[in-house]
Amino acid sequence: MKNKKILYAILAVALIGAVAGYMLWNKPHQDIGAAKADIAIDAIALYNEYNTDENAANAKYLDKVVAITGKVKEAAKDSDGAVKVSLEAGSDMGVVACELSPFANHSRTDFQAGEQVTFKGKCTGLNLDVIFVECVEAKK
Amino acid sequence: MLFSWNAWKRKNKRLRLLRVEVVEGRSVRRVLFSQSGPQQSQHSTPQQSTSQQTQHSQPFKYFIMQKFIVLFAALFLMSSSAFSQKLFTRDAKIKFSSDTPMEKIEGLNKSGTCVLDAATGKMEWKVLIKGFLFEKALMQEHFNENYLESSTFPNAQFKGQISNLSEINFSQDGKYNAKASGKLTIHGVERDVNVEGTVKVSKGSVEILSNFVVKPEDYKIAIPSLVRDNIAKEIKVTVSAVLQPLKS
Repeated sequence: MKNKKILYAILAVALIGAVAGYMLWNKPHQDIGAAKADIAIDAIALYNEYNTDENAANAKYLDKVVAITGKVKEAAKDSDGAVKVSLEAGSDMGVVACELSPFANHSRTDFQAGEQVTFKGKCTGLNLDVIFVECVEAKK
Repeated sequence: MLFSWNAWKRKNKRLRLLRVEVVEGRSVRRVLFSQSGPQQSQHSTPQQSTSQQTQHSQPFKYFIMQKFIVLFAALFLMSSSAFSQKLFTRDAKIKFSSDTPMEKIEGLNKSGTCVLDAATGKMEWKVLIKGFLFEKALMQEHFNENYLESSTFPNAQFKGQISNLSEINFSQDGKYNAKASGKLTIHGVERDVNVEGTVKVSKGSVEILSNFVVKPEDYKIAIPSLVRDNIAKEIKVTVSAVLQPLKS
Protein backbone atom coordinates (compact mmCIF):
# COMPACT_ATOMS: atom_id res chain seq x y z
CA MET A 1 0.00 0.00 0.00
CA LYS A 2 2.68 2.43 1.02
CA ASN A 3 4.65 1.69 -2.16
CA LYS A 4 1.62 2.44 -4.32
CA LYS A 5 1.11 5.83 -2.64
CA ILE A 6 4.70 6.79 -3.33
CA LEU A 7 4.35 5.70 -6.95
CA TYR A 8 1.22 7.85 -7.41
CA ALA A 9 2.94 10.80 -5.82
CA ILE A 10 5.89 10.46 -8.17
CA LEU A 11 3.60 10.15 -11.19
CA ALA A 12 1.65 13.23 -10.15
CA VAL A 13 4.82 15.30 -9.76
CA ALA A 14 6.11 14.09 -13.15
CA LEU A 15 2.82 14.98 -14.82
CA ILE A 16 2.74 18.46 -13.31
CA GLY A 17 6.37 18.91 -14.35
CA ALA A 18 5.63 17.81 -17.92
CA VAL A 19 2.61 20.11 -18.23
CA ALA A 20 4.52 23.05 -16.75
CA GLY A 21 7.44 22.38 -19.08
CA TYR A 22 5.18 22.16 -22.10
CA MET A 23 3.39 25.39 -21.20
CA LEU A 24 6.66 27.18 -20.61
CA TRP A 25 8.03 25.90 -23.92
CA ASN A 26 4.98 27.23 -25.71
CA LYS A 27 4.79 30.42 -23.72
CA PRO A 28 3.23 33.01 -26.02
CA HIS A 29 4.89 36.31 -26.84
CA GLN A 30 3.91 39.14 -24.57
CA ASP A 31 0.56 40.57 -25.61
CA ILE A 32 1.80 44.11 -26.21
CA GLY A 33 -1.65 45.30 -27.27
CA ALA A 34 -3.09 44.40 -23.87
CA ALA A 35 0.01 45.33 -21.89
CA LYS A 36 0.19 48.60 -20.03
CA ALA A 37 3.03 50.78 -21.29
CA ASP A 38 5.85 51.25 -18.77
CA ILE A 39 6.80 54.61 -20.28
CA ALA A 40 5.14 56.98 -22.74
CA ILE A 41 7.27 59.36 -24.79
CA ASP A 42 7.32 61.48 -27.92
CA ALA A 43 9.43 60.17 -30.84
CA ILE A 44 11.50 63.37 -31.18
CA ALA A 45 12.24 63.52 -27.44
CA LEU A 46 13.24 59.85 -27.43
CA TYR A 47 15.56 60.25 -30.42
CA ASN A 48 17.20 63.24 -28.74
CA GLU A 49 17.73 61.27 -25.55
CA TYR A 50 19.40 58.52 -27.55
CA ASN A 51 21.70 60.91 -29.35
CA THR A 52 22.63 62.72 -26.14
CA ASP A 53 23.45 59.65 -24.07
CA GLU A 54 22.89 56.24 -25.62
CA ASN A 55 23.77 54.28 -22.49
CA ALA A 56 21.43 56.26 -20.29
CA ALA A 57 18.63 55.89 -22.83
CA ASN A 58 19.26 52.14 -23.12
CA ALA A 59 19.07 51.78 -19.34
CA LYS A 60 15.77 53.62 -19.39
CA TYR A 61 14.03 52.03 -22.38
CA LEU A 62 15.43 48.60 -23.28
CA ASP A 63 13.19 45.62 -22.50
CA LYS A 64 10.32 47.92 -21.56
CA VAL A 65 6.97 48.33 -23.24
CA VAL A 66 7.16 51.90 -24.50
CA ALA A 67 4.27 53.95 -25.87
CA ILE A 68 5.78 56.06 -28.59
CA THR A 69 3.94 58.93 -30.24
CA GLY A 70 4.97 60.69 -33.40
CA LYS A 71 4.25 61.85 -36.92
CA VAL A 72 4.52 59.19 -39.64
CA LYS A 73 7.39 59.96 -42.02
CA GLU A 74 6.87 56.89 -44.15
CA ALA A 75 5.44 53.40 -43.93
CA ALA A 76 6.91 50.51 -45.88
CA LYS A 77 5.81 46.94 -46.45
CA ASP A 78 8.47 44.37 -47.31
CA SER A 79 8.13 41.28 -49.48
CA ASP A 80 6.88 39.21 -46.51
CA GLY A 81 4.17 41.76 -45.80
CA ALA A 82 5.92 43.02 -42.68
CA VAL A 83 5.25 46.68 -42.00
CA LYS A 84 7.77 49.18 -40.73
CA VAL A 85 6.58 52.65 -39.83
CA SER A 86 9.12 55.45 -39.53
CA LEU A 87 8.27 58.29 -37.19
CA GLU A 88 9.78 61.76 -37.55
CA ALA A 89 12.64 62.22 -35.11
CA GLY A 90 13.44 65.87 -35.84
CA SER A 91 16.63 64.89 -37.65
CA ASP A 92 17.78 64.13 -41.19
CA MET A 93 20.03 61.40 -39.87
CA GLY A 94 17.51 59.03 -38.41
CA VAL A 95 13.97 58.21 -37.47
CA VAL A 96 12.19 56.22 -34.82
CA ALA A 97 11.45 52.98 -36.64
CA CYS A 98 8.56 50.81 -35.50
CA GLU A 99 8.28 47.24 -36.80
CA LEU A 100 4.71 46.01 -36.46
CA SER A 101 4.54 42.80 -34.44
CA PRO A 102 4.31 39.56 -36.43
CA PHE A 103 2.80 37.94 -33.33
CA ALA A 104 -0.26 40.18 -33.02
CA ASN A 105 -3.38 41.03 -34.98
CA HIS A 106 -3.51 44.58 -36.23
CA SER A 107 -6.61 46.67 -36.74
CA ARG A 108 -4.81 48.25 -39.72
CA THR A 109 -1.46 48.06 -41.46
CA ASP A 110 -1.74 51.13 -43.67
CA PHE A 111 -0.33 54.34 -42.35
CA GLN A 112 -0.23 57.66 -44.15
CA ALA A 113 2.68 60.06 -44.06
CA GLY A 114 1.91 63.01 -41.82
CA GLU A 115 -0.57 61.33 -39.53
CA GLN A 116 -0.08 61.24 -35.77
CA VAL A 117 0.12 57.75 -34.28
CA THR A 118 0.98 56.02 -31.04
CA PHE A 119 2.57 52.57 -30.98
CA LYS A 120 3.33 50.33 -28.08
CA GLY A 121 6.44 48.27 -28.64
CA LYS A 122 9.76 47.07 -27.31
CA CYS A 123 12.79 49.27 -27.68
CA THR A 124 15.85 47.45 -29.08
CA GLY A 125 18.29 50.36 -29.11
CA LEU A 126 20.01 52.75 -31.50
CA ASN A 127 21.35 51.69 -34.89
CA LEU A 128 21.20 55.07 -36.67
CA ASP A 129 17.46 54.88 -36.01
CA VAL A 130 15.94 54.09 -32.65
CA ILE A 131 14.32 50.76 -33.44
CA PHE A 132 11.20 49.28 -31.88
CA VAL A 133 9.96 45.74 -32.47
CA GLU A 134 6.70 43.92 -31.72
CA CYS A 135 4.77 47.15 -32.16
CA VAL A 136 1.01 47.39 -31.91
CA GLU A 137 -0.94 50.58 -32.50
CA ALA A 138 -2.30 51.90 -29.23
CA LYS A 139 -6.06 52.34 -29.09
CA LYS A 140 -7.09 55.94 -28.99
CA MET B 1 44.40 75.11 -65.13
CA LEU B 2 44.60 73.53 -68.56
CA PHE B 3 45.66 76.83 -70.05
CA SER B 4 48.56 77.29 -67.67
CA TRP B 5 49.47 73.67 -68.24
CA ASN B 6 49.83 74.36 -72.00
CA ALA B 7 51.71 77.54 -71.32
CA TRP B 8 54.11 75.63 -69.19
CA LYS B 9 54.52 73.06 -71.92
CA ARG B 10 55.28 75.73 -74.48
CA LYS B 11 57.83 77.36 -72.22
CA ASN B 12 59.50 74.09 -71.50
CA LYS B 13 61.97 72.84 -74.06
CA ARG B 14 62.12 69.31 -72.79
CA LEU B 15 58.87 68.05 -74.20
CA ARG B 16 60.23 64.57 -74.71
CA LEU B 17 60.68 64.16 -70.98
CA LEU B 18 57.19 65.43 -70.34
CA ARG B 19 55.78 62.80 -72.66
CA VAL B 20 57.62 60.13 -70.75
CA GLU B 21 56.08 61.43 -67.59
CA VAL B 22 52.57 61.53 -68.98
CA VAL B 23 52.92 57.96 -70.12
CA GLU B 24 54.15 56.97 -66.72
CA GLY B 25 51.38 58.98 -65.13
CA ARG B 26 48.95 56.84 -67.06
CA SER B 27 50.58 53.69 -65.91
CA VAL B 28 50.30 54.92 -62.36
CA ARG B 29 46.64 55.48 -63.04
CA ARG B 30 46.26 51.94 -64.31
CA VAL B 31 48.04 50.63 -61.26
CA LEU B 32 45.73 52.60 -58.98
CA PHE B 33 42.76 51.22 -60.81
CA SER B 34 43.80 47.62 -60.40
CA GLN B 35 44.48 48.41 -56.74
CA SER B 36 47.84 46.75 -56.47
CA GLY B 37 49.58 49.07 -54.06
CA PRO B 38 53.18 47.83 -54.10
CA GLN B 39 53.53 48.15 -57.88
CA GLN B 40 52.78 51.82 -57.66
CA SER B 41 55.88 52.56 -55.69
CA GLN B 42 57.96 50.51 -58.11
CA HIS B 43 56.73 52.73 -60.88
CA SER B 44 57.37 55.97 -59.13
CA THR B 45 60.99 55.13 -58.34
CA PRO B 46 62.30 54.99 -61.93
CA GLN B 47 60.13 58.00 -62.70
CA GLN B 48 61.88 60.07 -60.10
CA SER B 49 65.32 59.00 -61.19
CA THR B 50 64.50 59.87 -64.83
CA SER B 51 63.63 63.41 -63.92
CA GLN B 52 66.69 63.80 -61.75
CA GLN B 53 69.01 62.61 -64.51
CA THR B 54 67.63 64.74 -67.32
CA GLN B 55 66.61 67.85 -65.48
CA HIS B 56 69.55 69.22 -63.60
CA SER B 57 68.64 72.89 -63.76
CA GLN B 58 65.19 72.79 -62.17
CA PRO B 59 64.92 69.58 -60.16
CA PHE B 60 62.49 71.01 -57.64
CA LYS B 61 60.12 72.33 -60.26
CA TYR B 62 60.16 68.96 -61.91
CA PHE B 63 59.46 67.20 -58.69
CA ILE B 64 56.38 69.40 -58.19
CA MET B 65 55.27 68.75 -61.76
CA GLN B 66 55.50 65.04 -61.17
CA LYS B 67 53.28 65.33 -58.14
CA PHE B 68 50.85 67.32 -60.24
CA ILE B 69 50.73 64.65 -62.90
CA VAL B 70 50.04 61.95 -60.35
CA LEU B 71 47.44 64.13 -58.67
CA PHE B 72 45.86 64.93 -62.00
CA ALA B 73 45.77 61.25 -62.89
CA ALA B 74 44.20 60.41 -59.55
CA LEU B 75 41.58 63.14 -59.96
CA PHE B 76 40.81 61.94 -63.46
CA LEU B 77 40.48 58.40 -62.19
CA MET B 78 38.07 59.49 -59.47
CA SER B 79 35.86 61.45 -61.83
CA SER B 80 35.92 58.75 -64.49
CA SER B 81 34.76 55.95 -62.22
CA ALA B 82 31.05 56.48 -62.76
CA PHE B 83 30.06 54.93 -59.45
CA SER B 84 31.95 56.49 -56.62
CA GLN B 85 28.92 56.70 -54.40
CA LYS B 86 28.13 55.33 -51.02
CA LEU B 87 25.25 52.90 -50.85
CA PHE B 88 23.15 52.37 -47.82
CA THR B 89 20.16 50.67 -46.25
CA ARG B 90 18.54 50.52 -42.85
CA ASP B 91 16.37 47.53 -43.80
CA ALA B 92 19.01 44.81 -44.07
CA LYS B 93 17.69 41.38 -43.15
CA ILE B 94 19.79 39.15 -40.94
CA LYS B 95 18.46 35.66 -40.42
CA PHE B 96 19.98 32.69 -38.71
CA SER B 97 18.86 29.17 -38.18
CA SER B 98 19.98 26.33 -35.99
CA ASP B 99 18.80 23.03 -37.36
CA THR B 100 19.09 19.85 -35.33
CA PRO B 101 16.93 16.73 -35.15
CA MET B 102 15.82 17.96 -31.71
CA GLU B 103 14.53 21.35 -32.77
CA LYS B 104 14.72 24.11 -35.33
CA ILE B 105 15.44 27.59 -34.10
CA GLU B 106 15.17 30.64 -36.34
CA GLY B 107 15.77 34.27 -35.59
CA LEU B 108 15.12 37.16 -37.91
CA ASN B 109 16.05 40.82 -37.77
CA LYS B 110 14.76 43.21 -40.41
CA SER B 111 16.40 46.43 -39.29
CA GLY B 112 20.09 45.94 -39.88
CA THR B 113 22.16 48.73 -41.38
CA CYS B 114 24.58 48.22 -44.21
CA VAL B 115 26.78 50.80 -45.88
CA LEU B 116 29.00 50.09 -48.86
CA ASP B 117 31.47 52.39 -50.56
CA ALA B 118 31.34 51.17 -54.14
CA ALA B 119 34.56 52.98 -55.00
CA THR B 120 36.70 51.31 -52.36
CA GLY B 121 34.68 48.18 -51.54
CA LYS B 122 34.59 49.06 -47.84
CA MET B 123 31.52 47.64 -46.20
CA GLU B 124 29.91 47.80 -42.76
CA TRP B 125 26.95 45.95 -41.33
CA LYS B 126 25.42 46.43 -37.93
CA VAL B 127 22.44 44.84 -36.24
CA LEU B 128 20.83 45.13 -32.80
CA ILE B 129 20.62 41.79 -30.98
CA LYS B 130 17.37 42.63 -29.23
CA GLY B 131 15.73 43.12 -32.62
CA PHE B 132 15.88 39.39 -33.48
CA LEU B 133 12.44 37.84 -33.35
CA PHE B 134 11.69 34.14 -32.83
CA GLU B 135 8.58 32.11 -33.28
CA LYS B 136 8.67 31.04 -29.65
CA ALA B 137 8.94 33.64 -26.92
CA LEU B 138 11.08 31.33 -24.82
CA MET B 139 13.70 31.03 -27.57
CA GLN B 140 13.83 34.80 -27.84
CA GLU B 141 14.26 35.09 -24.10
CA HIS B 142 17.03 32.50 -23.91
CA PHE B 143 18.77 33.98 -26.96
CA ASN B 144 18.88 37.42 -25.33
CA GLU B 145 19.47 36.51 -21.70
CA ASN B 146 21.54 33.33 -21.74
CA TYR B 147 23.33 33.09 -25.06
CA LEU B 148 23.95 36.45 -26.73
CA GLU B 149 23.62 38.45 -23.48
CA SER B 150 22.15 41.34 -25.40
CA SER B 151 22.12 43.74 -22.47
CA THR B 152 25.92 43.53 -22.27
CA PHE B 153 26.57 43.13 -26.00
CA PRO B 154 23.78 45.08 -27.69
CA ASN B 155 24.88 44.64 -31.29
CA ALA B 156 26.72 42.50 -33.78
CA GLN B 157 28.70 43.94 -36.64
CA PHE B 158 30.84 43.25 -39.64
CA LYS B 159 33.50 45.66 -40.85
CA GLY B 160 35.33 44.66 -43.96
CA GLN B 161 36.04 44.90 -47.58
CA ILE B 162 34.86 43.37 -50.82
CA SER B 163 38.04 41.60 -51.88
CA ASN B 164 37.23 41.04 -55.57
CA LEU B 165 36.00 44.57 -56.26
CA SER B 166 37.52 44.65 -59.75
CA GLU B 167 35.16 41.86 -60.83
CA ILE B 168 32.08 43.87 -59.90
CA ASN B 169 30.80 46.64 -62.13
CA PHE B 170 28.46 48.75 -60.04
CA SER B 171 27.41 50.82 -63.02
CA GLN B 172 26.25 47.87 -65.10
CA ASP B 173 23.19 45.78 -64.28
CA GLY B 174 23.99 42.18 -63.58
CA LYS B 175 24.70 39.56 -60.98
CA TYR B 176 28.25 39.23 -59.70
CA ASN B 177 29.92 36.76 -57.39
CA ALA B 178 31.48 38.59 -54.50
CA LYS B 179 33.96 37.84 -51.78
CA ALA B 180 34.38 39.79 -48.61
CA SER B 181 36.82 39.66 -45.77
CA GLY B 182 36.84 41.51 -42.52
CA LYS B 183 36.06 41.39 -38.86
CA LEU B 184 32.84 39.95 -37.51
CA THR B 185 31.92 40.88 -33.96
CA ILE B 186 29.31 38.87 -32.10
CA HIS B 187 28.85 38.60 -28.35
CA GLY B 188 31.78 41.00 -27.92
CA VAL B 189 34.19 38.63 -29.69
CA GLU B 190 35.90 39.91 -32.84
CA ARG B 191 37.08 37.40 -35.43
CA ASP B 192 38.51 37.54 -38.93
CA VAL B 193 36.12 36.04 -41.45
CA ASN B 194 35.96 35.44 -45.19
CA VAL B 195 32.53 35.14 -46.74
CA GLU B 196 31.16 34.68 -50.20
CA GLY B 197 28.00 36.03 -51.69
CA THR B 198 26.45 37.75 -54.64
CA VAL B 199 26.02 41.36 -55.65
CA LYS B 200 23.08 42.12 -57.89
CA VAL B 201 23.07 45.49 -59.60
CA SER B 202 19.83 46.69 -61.11
CA LYS B 203 18.72 50.22 -61.95
CA GLY B 204 21.06 51.91 -59.51
CA SER B 205 20.17 49.76 -56.53
CA VAL B 206 22.54 47.07 -55.32
CA GLU B 207 21.40 43.88 -53.64
CA ILE B 208 23.89 41.97 -51.51
CA LEU B 209 23.23 38.39 -50.49
CA SER B 210 25.42 36.09 -48.46
CA ASN B 211 25.22 32.82 -46.56
CA PHE B 212 27.83 31.81 -44.06
CA VAL B 213 28.27 29.70 -40.99
CA VAL B 214 28.98 30.82 -37.45
CA LYS B 215 30.06 28.50 -34.64
CA PRO B 216 28.73 29.54 -31.21
CA GLU B 217 31.93 28.31 -29.52
CA ASP B 218 34.02 30.68 -31.64
CA TYR B 219 32.21 33.63 -30.12
CA LYS B 220 32.33 32.38 -26.53
CA ILE B 221 28.63 31.67 -26.48
CA ALA B 222 28.23 29.19 -23.65
CA ILE B 223 25.62 26.50 -24.16
CA PRO B 224 24.79 24.21 -21.22
CA SER B 225 25.71 20.61 -22.00
CA LEU B 226 22.15 19.51 -21.24
CA VAL B 227 20.83 21.36 -24.32
CA ARG B 228 24.00 21.24 -26.43
CA ASP B 229 22.41 18.78 -28.83
CA ASN B 230 19.43 21.06 -29.33
CA ILE B 231 21.55 23.79 -30.83
CA ALA B 232 23.50 23.29 -34.03
CA LYS B 233 27.30 23.25 -33.94
CA GLU B 234 27.19 25.45 -37.01
CA ILE B 235 24.58 28.19 -37.15
CA LYS B 236 23.59 29.18 -40.68
CA VAL B 237 23.44 32.91 -41.19
CA THR B 238 21.80 34.61 -44.17
CA VAL B 239 22.20 38.31 -44.77
CA SER B 240 20.50 40.32 -47.47
CA ALA B 241 20.33 44.01 -48.16
CA VAL B 242 19.01 46.19 -50.95
CA LEU B 243 21.20 49.26 -50.96
CA GLN B 244 20.30 52.65 -52.38
CA PRO B 245 22.69 55.49 -53.20
CA LEU B 246 23.13 57.68 -50.15
CA LYS B 247 21.60 61.08 -50.74
CA SER B 248 23.94 63.80 -49.65
